[in-house]
Amino acid sequence: MPDTTGEPVPAEKGQVQPQSASPDEEPRIGVYVCHCGDNIGDVVDCEQTAEALGKLGNVVVSRSYIFMCSDPGQKLITDDIKEKGVNRVVVGACSMFLHEQTFRQAVSRAGLNPYLYYHIGLREQDSWVHHECPEEATEKAIRLMSAGVAKARLMRPLEPVRLEAAKHALVIGGGVAGLRAALDMARRGLKVTLVEKTHFLGGRTAQWEHVFPTDEDARTLLRGLIEKVLAEPNITIHTGAEVVAAKGYVGDFQIRIRQQPRGVSDDFEAVEQAIAACPVEVPDEFDYGLTTRKAIYRPYEECTPAGVVIDWEHCTRCEKCLEFSNNGGIRLDDAPHEFEINVGAMVVATGFRPYEPPQGELGYGEFPEVITLPQLERILASDGPTGGRLEWNGHPIRNLAMIHCVGSRQIEGVHKPQPDGNVNDYCSRVCCTATLSAANQIREYFPDVNIFDVYEDIRTYGRGHEDYYLQASENRITFLRYVAEETPEGVKAQKGDQQPRLGRVKDHLTWGEEIELPVDLVVLAVGVMPSPVDDLVVVFKISPGHDRFLLEVHPKLRPVETAVTGIVLAGAAQGPMNIQESCAAAGAAASKVEGLLSQGRVELEPYVAQVDPERCQGTGECVRVCPQEDAIHLETFSVSGREVQRAVVTPANCNGCGVCVSACPNRAIDVQGWRLDDYEAMVDALTAEIPALEGVV
Amino acid sequence: MSDNRLDVDTLVVGGGIAGMQASLDLADQGYQVALVERDPSIGGKMIGLSKVFPTLDCCSCITTPKMAAVAHHDNIPLLTYSEVESVASNKNGFVAQVLRKPRYVQEEDCTGCRSCELVCPIDLPDDENEFGRTSHRVIYVPFTTAVPQTALIDLDHCIYCGKCIKACPPDAIDFTQQPEHLEIEAKTIVLATGYEVTPYDAKKEYGAGKLGNVIDALMMERLLAPTGPYGRVLRPSDGKQPDSIAYVQCAGSRDLTLGVSYCSRVCCMYAIKQAMLLSGALPMADITIYYMDIRTFGKGYEQFYQNAKTMGIEFVKGKVARITEDENQNPVVRVELIDENSRVAERTHDLVVLSVGMLPGWNPQATFGVPVAEAGFIQIPDCNVSPTVTTQPGIYATGTAAGPMDIVDTIMTAGAAAAEAAAYMQNHKEQEPAVPEAAPAMRDKRSTVHA
Amino acid sequence: MKTNAQTRAPKILILATLSGGYRGADAAGQSQLEYAPDTYILPVMSAAMFPESFYWRAFERGVDGIIVMYSGTDSPYKGAPEKTAEIINRTYERMKERGLDTQRLRLAAICTVCVRPFLKEIRQMNEVLDEIGLVPSSLPPAREAQAEPG
Ligand SMILES: Cc1cc2nc3c(=O)[nH]c(=O)nc-3n(C[C@H](O)[C@H](O)[C@H](O)COP(=O)(O)OP(=O)(O)OC[C@H]3O[C@@H](n4cnc5c(N)ncnc54)[C@H](O)[C@@H]3O)c2cc1C
Ligand SMILES: Cc1cc2nc3c(=O)[nH]c(=O)nc-3n(C[C@H](O)[C@H](O)[C@H](O)COP(=O)(O)OP(=O)(O)OC[C@H]3O[C@@H](n4cnc5c(N)ncnc54)[C@H](O)[C@@H]3O)c2cc1C
Ligand code: SF4
Repeated sequence: MPDTTGEPVPAEKGQVQPQSASPDEEPRIGVYVCHCGDNIGDVVDCEQTAEALGKLGNVVVSRSYIFMCSDPGQKLITDDIKEKGVNRVVVGACSMFLHEQTFRQAVSRAGLNPYLYYHIGLREQDSWVHHECPEEATEKAIRLMSAGVAKARLMRPLEPVRLEAAKHALVIGGGVAGLRAALDMARRGLKVTLVEKTHFLGGRTAQWEHVFPTDEDARTLLRGLIEKVLAEPNITIHTGAEVVAAKGYVGDFQIRIRQQPRGVSDDFEAVEQAIAACPVEVPDEFDYGLTTRKAIYRPYEECTPAGVVIDWEHCTRCEKCLEFSNNGGIRLDDAPHEFEINVGAMVVATGFRPYEPPQGELGYGEFPEVITLPQLERILASDGPTGGRLEWNGHPIRNLAMIHCVGSRQIEGVHKPQPDGNVNDYCSRVCCTATLSAANQIREYFPDVNIFDVYEDIRTYGRGHEDYYLQASENRITFLRYVAEETPEGVKAQKGDQQPRLGRVKDHLTWGEEIELPVDLVVLAVGVMPSPVDDLVVVFKISPGHDRFLLEVHPKLRPVETAVTGIVLAGAAQGPMNIQESCAAAGAAASKVEGLLSQGRVELEPYVAQVDPERCQGTGECVRVCPQEDAIHLETFSVSGREVQRAVVTPANCNGCGVCVSACPNRAIDVQGWRLDDYEAMVDALTAEIPALEGVV
Repeated sequence: MSDNRLDVDTLVVGGGIAGMQASLDLADQGYQVALVERDPSIGGKMIGLSKVFPTLDCCSCITTPKMAAVAHHDNIPLLTYSEVESVASNKNGFVAQVLRKPRYVQEEDCTGCRSCELVCPIDLPDDENEFGRTSHRVIYVPFTTAVPQTALIDLDHCIYCGKCIKACPPDAIDFTQQPEHLEIEAKTIVLATGYEVTPYDAKKEYGAGKLGNVIDALMMERLLAPTGPYGRVLRPSDGKQPDSIAYVQCAGSRDLTLGVSYCSRVCCMYAIKQAMLLSGALPMADITIYYMDIRTFGKGYEQFYQNAKTMGIEFVKGKVARITEDENQNPVVRVELIDENSRVAERTHDLVVLSVGMLPGWNPQATFGVPVAEAGFIQIPDCNVSPTVTTQPGIYATGTAAGPMDIVDTIMTAGAAAAEAAAYMQNHKEQEPAVPEAAPAMRDKRSTVHA
Repeated sequence: MKTNAQTRAPKILILATLSGGYRGADAAGQSQLEYAPDTYILPVMSAAMFPESFYWRAFERGVDGIIVMYSGTDSPYKGAPEKTAEIINRTYERMKERGLDTQRLRLAAICTVCVRPFLKEIRQMNEVLDEIGLVPSSLPPAREAQAEPG
């Protein structure tokens, strides 16, 4: 029968167990009133307060002292614990936010459980706000302190929720963010497993050639990073793999991974013949559909891991390639492989996908001359469909227009929603600089090409980004500005036109004139959308935000953490980011995981819900109202031969919000350290006719 | 800290949000971190802000818990009012000489009770240009939420009346205090020295700081802060409540006449934030933002901008050429209105706020041998993949010391710098022969790839 | 409803969240701003843990007014502020049913530096209590009292 007390079980036995009061041990309370120089003492009569408190039941010592926080002050407490057997401590001093930790540590040094101490703010909440009425202030001090004593009588020793933590982290996604996070954690000594859905590492970055703000070759950048990752013995990589199920909590997640077979062995030689033999032809996603590939294919030259794979979705099992497969070089009957790993925490780095304009948006899908920025990046890449030459459908490009914010900064009511009803009301952050970087490259390598840049705002915000804008102006790129309500209208060609036209750009940089631009290529700087993560959202119970990117707990207080302790975010999965920002976010995510796991143990505050199995009737009210995932559930127990339901708390998932406490009809649940009984006793003390007050006020 | 020596794993320089977060991230992993802050309190620029975009959280609510966490962390010795004078490297890392400036108040004894402030006869007026501080006595605790809560004496203005000595309950005042020198040995260093803003009188076209009702955005932060001096928004020249307020964007950024070509990254958002707060405080006021491009690129930022538009804040695309004032000291803005056929107009407002930019703060070249790049921010050679690694092995840069950025991005780089430093120290440790993990067999292995 | 004679100052209980109102109270202290001394502030993690019976019981014990200073939308606890509001609303119903002036119970979002709103809440509660008087010394019995501990 499982432990029903809900009491967190210390993971580490053999720890120095503080000599602490058992719940039924007679409370021996020490009360300490601080003068805080004159700060409290000038208004509150501290001696009288101490004297009055000394008369309360269970109080064995009651003192006042000029500075309780000073070393001699703290020594009063530690000596009383050791010599007078004090086992509960109440201090009235300045704000608890200043010195609660100080006194906790003092109490702990003396061998008492640090949670058998309670702090009352007599300065900020009494003497400093009642200068004008010292008598009432003294009465208030006595009442507040007597409430502290009332709580102290009921206090129980608490232990932080300690969980054994596997020093092993999972990284989901092998783009720059995932690679960088894996590297950081491995170098710090954690074991890392990285799963990547596709058959190659590097994510989207592999598809660009020339990256801002350094103008370096993305493949060189990636090779450097991947080599470092491969050189780490602590990292295990699974490509073609996805998470299919997960359970557990921080320190101990069980993750089920499914890996697709490659279908082709590493040493298979007749690669080109097999590819040639394959009759299936599908759009090549690596080139954003500008080219096609076979069902047996190489993701891209230079990819890691190297070699060819089979696209199981499109393979018709026609077995034409098998002709070249001597000794099972190609295996069409390989099945996906499932396995389970145990990790302490994970980094979700699933990245982004470019916005795909619907048929007809600005002529996309209607006119072949309208392409997206990722497609242009492929055209400019030396390993792309044109070998880096700026031509389209066999014709060199002369006039080119680039339109910003396609699929970004959409406004409800102005822009047509996507099929799922959403509009992308955010800025995609990377496209402005990426557009200008591409434009400058074109002006450099193909100086005859005229470029029109049609924008709303140019957002070259980052270090080194503005230079692209300045350079673009120097390069005589023509800028035209539109406003959201008057988005350019798209492309139309008329009979006899040699070129399509980009119709109706109302240019706000000149005189709001409507112009038509005769161009032979229109590039849509499409925005960034999160990779589809619906499955992970369900498996991990993490939440996407309003913009459908994965959501952090708080952008400043806890910017990489999700609401599930132990699951953190990195890179473009959280929101549009460039490479630099993705790598920084990955570092921050790694730091968080290292902080959680590097000690091999996770310690959480003991302020979590606790069920009293005697009172619990198994109504399930608590389970129904609990806003946290998996923090409380019902379990079946047998009590004198009868099957009953009882609530059981998973301390690791409980944040102590207490919603269950007020909901329980049987008063069977409490937040440790902040129990309802404590509060009722305190209210009683605050309202009681305190005998000790007689003769004082 | 006895014998004036301190042995730690990491030395963090600068106690703004970047330095605090990096310290916490390292200390939480069990590393010892010495945090050295030049000012008497940690908190940096952030603690003086009003509310922060894009969530409009109260800034103090975000900063003070981090400050307290730093102050109470067992692994973080905190050295405020201190400066690193020189750094040498040795086989274990670095040896820094740190100057602890005298406060003339014993840090260990002062309880922050402020009894001294009550008796000190000299009140130093509110320094309008100083960020986050209101008027104070010659002896003072820097501000209500300062960490540590320790008083200090501004000797330049002290008349040595001795009243504070008598008033101080724990006898903490010590006029004989001398600067102290402390040697810190550390394996790694994180530079988090932050930024400065464009001096408010930098641009002569904008009145060179001489126009009574032209203020900068930092001053507006203070006017809007709950801890601010007036608790209300009044214009400086005559204390009148402004009915028409204008923001001039890029006042110090993207301005080649000032030698600043870059974008400061935060000004669009803080201007919008302030405009929103102002329209709450002064519901009847007209608020205009003159801009070149609105750069609300971060998570949730564009929506913030759109909300501001719906709230009726007026966004006008145009570069402000000049600001003058009329006979009533109302600022007059001369602006090219791009959306109105680039017509040049003069518009009169009651108060103009300059959205000043971010300039590099402290130059670490001389002390740390870490060079700065183009605009004076710390040079980061492999900025894409290793955005916090400087040219010096073992030295990392975070936050605005490495270029303009907002708090969210600053916190990200702080975590990244902590991860880099931790990894560096781990590898360093493994090279020491005494540690068994250094078995050569392990080091030869490579990661396992299951393709 | 008749109240007992004004023999004492009205007693106000404040439940203030550690992440919000309790810090706001400290901030008021740091600014040394005076308020009525018969105001007792208890720190709470989140006010969502208090059932209706808690409030009722406090009134029975002689608390004249209760202000719940929660963190509202700034709450670190998902779902808790909504729950708190729900419980307070139900308590209002109960108070109405039993003839206790609902002005005795207030819910207010107070942040860590909300000094002025903090003081305003206390002042307003005092004004209300001055007008409606102290809590009656005997309240009608609870209709379906929560199971008492035992
Ligand atoms: C047109 C364009 C040009 C750009 N140019 C530049 C530039 O010049 N400089 C720059 O700094 N930035 C540039 N960027 C931005 C850059 O591409 C991103 O910053 C970077 O790719 C983000 O890295 P990431 O690892 O977060 O995501 P990705 O690169 O998207 O990687 C995510 C990885 O996770 C994998 N994955 C997704 N879901 C799962 C799952 N469920 N399980 C397992 N694996 C999964 C994906 O297959 C992918 O490999 C550009 C972006 C665009 C759109
Ligand atoms: C008007 C204005 C409003 C803003 N509003 C927002 C907002 O709403 N939201 C937002 O996200 N961002 C905002 N920002 C930006 C925000 O202020 C910065 O992102 C953030 O404060 C940067 O933190 P930091 O730690 O890098 O630098 P800083 O805050 O400058 O901290 C640097 C610290 O280092 C110390 N230091 C410097 N040199 C040395 C040295 N040699 N030795 C020791 N210590 C040293 C300094 O004293 C300081 O404490 C705003 C900026 C401005 C100007
Ligand atoms: S980065 Fe530029 S193009 Fe991309 S959405 Fe933002 S403003 Fe539009």
